[in-house]
Order: sequence, then structure tokens, then C-alpha cells
Amino acid sequence: MSIITTVIMASFTRPEQIGTNPQSLLWLLPLAAAIVIVYKATKMSKITPAAFIKEAATLFGSIIVFIIIIAAALYGLGWLITE
Amino acid sequence: MAQRSRQTNISLLLIVGLLAWLVPGAGHFVINEKKRSIIIFVTIVLTFCTGLYIGSIGVINPGEARLAYSAQIMNSPIVRVLGQLTQTGAYPVYGRPNEIGQIYTSIAGLLNLLCIVNAVYLAHLKKTGSTGD
Repeated sequence: MSIITTVIMASFTRPEQIGTNPQSLLWLLPLAAAIVIVYKATKMSKITPAAFIKEAATLFGSIIVFIIIIAAALYGLGWLITE
Repeated sequence: MAQRSRQTNISLLLIVGLLAWLVPGAGHFVINEKKRSIIIFVTIVLTFCTGLYIGSIGVINPGEARLAYSAQIMNSPIVRVLGQLTQTGAYPVYGRPNEIGQIYTSIAGLLNLLCIVNAVYLAHLKKTGSTGD
């Protein structure tokens, strides 16, 4: 087995080191992007690169904005309850 | 004559659905939606592989994580082979990598389920000549 094959196999058989810190929540960004891309690929009647990128970016941006708004609201609620 | 046409239509829809499950995007490819199929294939395979990279193949656990496995199996039948590999307990994974890996691979499976339904729907529209708007 070549070194490249061994390295590839090893990277899929050992988990990554991810801590339980707030930064680990950033893993949601690629997932949100994947959901947006597949959703738009199934939803658009005709796919042109410019229109596809524009619509996908708009949806991705609106998802992230709403997540930030909800996070801020929950943070504010938590602050009100605990202070 | 009409019955034969209806049977052909149903078998076409079944073939499209089955292909879309075997290889993400293949359902769209056979109905001549090549751009869609490339986007779907690249995105779903990348999402699934990212999940496996983060949590290792141990995130596919048909024994203990049945709910996640039922979503993961929608990626492709290959997941079943990986599930049999991990049932030996040789690839343990716990904590945050397990959670994130399972979420990524499950979401990839559910996205492929959406694409299977969409491919069958588009094949039906093309066969009947409707626009679907």
C-alpha cells in the first residue's frame, strides 16, 4: 500500500481533536453552505452560474444573520435571568 | 397501450430513484440535468466525507446510533458496508467529533433523500410534459 493511500485511510479511521469550546460551533458554517447549495440546486428552474451563486449566497447570508439574531436574543435572555 | 406507457413511466421513475440513491446526483444525470447532478454529487460527497474525516468511519454506527444510521444510509448503499466494518468496534469515537461527524453524515443523507425525490419528480414532469410551475 502506498504512503498516500495509507495517509488517506488513516485520516478516515481516526477522529479529529475538537474541543467543546464555542469555536467548535463554527463547524455549522460549511454544513449550512452545503444545505443551501443542494437546496438551491433542486429549487432553481434553470441553473446559470451567476444566478446560482447569487441566490445561494443570499440564502446563506440570511441563514447566518438569523442564527446571529437568535443567538443574541438567547444571550440577552440568559443575561436577564441570571443578573 | 396506455397501460404499457404507464408501466414504462413507473419503471423509469424507479430507475431514476434507485440511481439517485446509488450515486448522489446520478438520478439527475440520467434525466439530462447535468449541471444539477454535478453540483449535487460534489456537495453531498464532500459533506459526507467531511463528516467521516471529523469523526472517522466510527460515526456510522448501526448498533447504537440507529436514528443517525437511518439518515446516513440515504447517502448510498456503501454506507451499509461501512456500518458492517464499524460494528466490530475497531473504530471508537466519542464526544464532539462523534456529534459533528454524525450530524454531517446524517444531513448529507437527508440532502440526498431530497435529491432522490426531486429527481423522480423532474423525471415524471419530463415524461408527462408538464412544466411543474
